[in-house]
Amino acid sequence: MQALRTAATGMAAQQMNVEVISNNIANMNTVGFKKQRAEFQDLLYQTIAQAGAQSSDQGTIVPTGIQVGAGVKTGSVYRIATQGAMTATGNKFDLGISGRGYFQVLTPSGDTAYTRAGNFSTNDQGQLVTQDGYQVQPAISIPLDATDVTISQSGQVQVTQPGNPVPSVVGQLELASFTNEGGLSLQGSNLLKETAASGPPTTGTPGTQGFGNLMQGYTEASNVDPVTEITALIVAQRAYEMNSKVISTADNMLGVANQVKS
Amino acid sequence: MDNALYVGLSRQMVLKREMDIVANNIANADTTGFKFESLMTKEVPGPPAFTLQGPRPIKFVGADGVARDFGQGGLRRTDTPLDLAIEGQGFFKVTTKAGERYTRDGRFRTDDTGRVTDQKGDPLADEGGGEITIDPTKPGEISISPDGVVSQGTERIGKIGVFNFPSLGALEKTGDNLYQNASNQQATPATDAKIRQGMLESSNVNPILQITKMIEVSRAYEQVTQMMSSEADLSRNSVARLGRLQ
Repeated sequence: MQALRTAATGMAAQQMNVEVISNNIANMNTVGFKKQRAEFQDLLYQTIAQAGAQSSDQGTIVPTGIQVGAGVKTGSVYRIATQGAMTATGNKFDLGISGRGYFQVLTPSGDTAYTRAGNFSTNDQGQLVTQDGYQVQPAISIPLDATDVTISQSGQVQVTQPGNPVPSVVGQLELASFTNEGGLSLQGSNLLKETAASGPPTTGTPGTQGFGNLMQGYTEASNVDPVTEITALIVAQRAYEMNSKVISTADNMLGVANQVKS
Repeated sequence: MDNALYVGLSRQMVLKREMDIVANNIANADTTGFKFESLMTKEVPGPPAFTLQGPRPIKFVGADGVARDFGQGGLRRTDTPLDLAIEGQGFFKVTTKAGERYTRDGRFRTDDTGRVTDQKGDPLADEGGGEITIDPTKPGEISISPDGVVSQGTERIGKIGVFNFPSLGALEKTGDNLYQNASNQQATPATDAKIRQGMLESSNVNPILQITKMIEVSRAYEQVTQMMSSEADLSRNSVARLGRLQ
């Protein structure tokens, strides 16, 4: 019976939905996290009677056909890259991007990864690194004796050193942007990688056309809205229940058919 | 007496198909832009299988067609710039490799070249059938007006086409939330449809209606099976009695 399999696709889709929603909720407080959405599409249809087929020699046509659908599938899990709110942290190495763009990070494998999580630190050599110790590109080294660090909206890093009242420039941060941000692949640890779908990165100075501004002392909060997620969770749970109801009803019908006496 | 069995069987087949359709509606209760369907039945006159009681015609039941309710689904706010919902009658057009397809599912995005596409990467058509491309290096947010004009910042970059058909019954579903125009009718620009940016059209499946329908189908199936059992009992009994008389 098709209804059994159709309802099973419905349950599988809702299960996927709950998994995506729970990941969003789990990352509600993850810096730079972007929420995801499971997107459903209907499956193929079995055409039993074709609409528009000739129904007589006089040229009359069948107004509506008979098509029976096979259920639902997850078309994609789409990452929604809208801006998250800025949270003031007061930490001088925390950078929030207001607008488009990603920080570039050199991973241990030598590839460049991209991130919106600007909660950076310095390592033992004074280099600007992520929470995992991966170097931010282009490399920025903060002199160990620096008393103050200022990062401008356009990404210029200036330090004040003892005995020199004039701040000196030690580097310039750059951002990368993609034509299709949704096409980036998620790597965990707040990192993303370039794919064929995202297109190649374009790098540029923060604050110039097509790139956002940097905000020192802020981090970008996740764009997860708890109320929306909880509502979606309730909908998913009820939809799951309904599909299981279909399975038990279809099973009941089959049971009835099996009881027919011959 | 065999007639009743065959009529019952035709009813069982129709109910089974109806159950399949209800199951598909429920599975898609959360699918953006989905339109629910219901089975229409018709009487199918046929010659009686057992003619001893006179040539009285009997009527079987058969599937006549699937009625699709194109009623408006509820709009829900997502605040994602390329989520679009159509309010009123009309369809977006996407150009797939297999030809033109129509959809009410407005979850669009851009691909690696900046074209506005659907989930499968097929480009959304503008009013003339061309594509709409967004240049991310240009300043300004994307805004889409109710009549479909797409602007980036203050610059107009295209107009999304919304199309309608004289007869929606001739549209065929091809899966992936897409419809195919199966007849030779022409798509015309929709006049009374409005595009809502940052919103999506929910499935118009009414869960209560579908569950009720499912209970109905299930009980009707039991009833007709009961009837067939009684008929079988009747013929078995009569054969046994006739045997005793001899």
